[in-house]
Amino acid sequence: MTDREQYAPGPANVARIQKDGEKWTLVLVRELRHSPEKVWEAITDPAHLREWAPFDADGSLATAGATVKLTTVGAPVPHATETTVTRAEAPKLLEYKWGAFDTRWELEAFAGGTRLTLWANIGRRFISMGAAGWHICFDVLDRLLNGTPIGRMVGPDAAKFGGWQRLNAEYAKQFGIEAPNWPSQDGSRVVSQGGSKNNV
Amino acid sequence: MKIKVTTLYVDDQEKALRFYTDVLGFAKKADFSQGPYRWLTVASPEEPDGVELQLALNNNPAARTYQQALFQQNQPAIMFFTDNIKSDHERIKALGAEFTMPPTDVTASTIAMLKDTCGNLVQLTQLKRW
Repeated sequence: MTDREQYAPGPANVARIQKDGEKWTLVLVRELRHSPEKVWEAITDPAHLREWAPFDADGSLATAGATVKLTTVGAPVPHATETTVTRAEAPKLLEYKWGAFDTRWELEAFAGGTRLTLWANIGRRFISMGAAGWHICFDVLDRLLNGTPIGRMVGPDAAKFGGWQRLNAEYAKQFGIEAPNWPSQDGSRVVSQGGSKNNV
Repeated sequence: MKIKVTTLYVDDQEKALRFYTDVLGFAKKADFSQGPYRWLTVASPEEPDGVELQLALNNNPAARTYQQALFQQNQPAIMFFTDNIKSDHERIKALGAEFTMPPTDVTASTIAMLKDTCGNLVQLTQLKRW
């Protein structure tokens, strides 16, 4: 079996939620055994992003003011959003929007490596899915930096994969929300009746 | 092949979901997201496995231009059929929706038009029996 086939994510302990009243922000922290400079390159350079991130960028994110098109990989219809990098302080702080989500990265030198923190204000409804997806992306990033890449796992690659389903359910439980609907394996979709009042 | 989904651009998916369920009376069918993308559909409770209406965010310039042009030219962005336009008009109006045209006789049908609060005009149509 390849490393990719053998990969299974660990327990759901990478993501947490920061609550400000009704506004929930997803926070993920990951300690990496590489310098902030190397991690900075991995989160800003399009060629590196293509190896692990849930979007493709058509330019570098490393400069404040840069306008970059971010294409969601594997979305059900082609989906791209344009963003302007609002803060880029190499190799410490990066801020931009992904669609409507504020996305903030902090890199902190830590015991010879980097403590990487991501804040993403994705909506509460899908926050466990975001946690599961980024959790796996961070694992893939870690292996990429270690020189043993297992290949990007996003979109359909992540969703069909049992580890993602488990993480989604575990994070939903931890966050006290219902796990969001997801198309089932036979291609049909879960039907939920009624409006959005209960789980917005 | 089947015709399974038709897409309607809206300026706010959450607001659209409330309008199309709470006011018009459709039921949420699919709702999932990937990153900033959200796939959201509703279906008629009279036809739960029928055609789904996808409420898509108009976050690209072409979609916005198209939506605004249709609206300004008084063109419906979507049309629903009903067996009782009079009662639907009363029901939907009572829930606070703004009609730009009350039920009106036209060739072969009775039509009404209302605003969906998300940038669109919606036409209700009841076919006449001959």
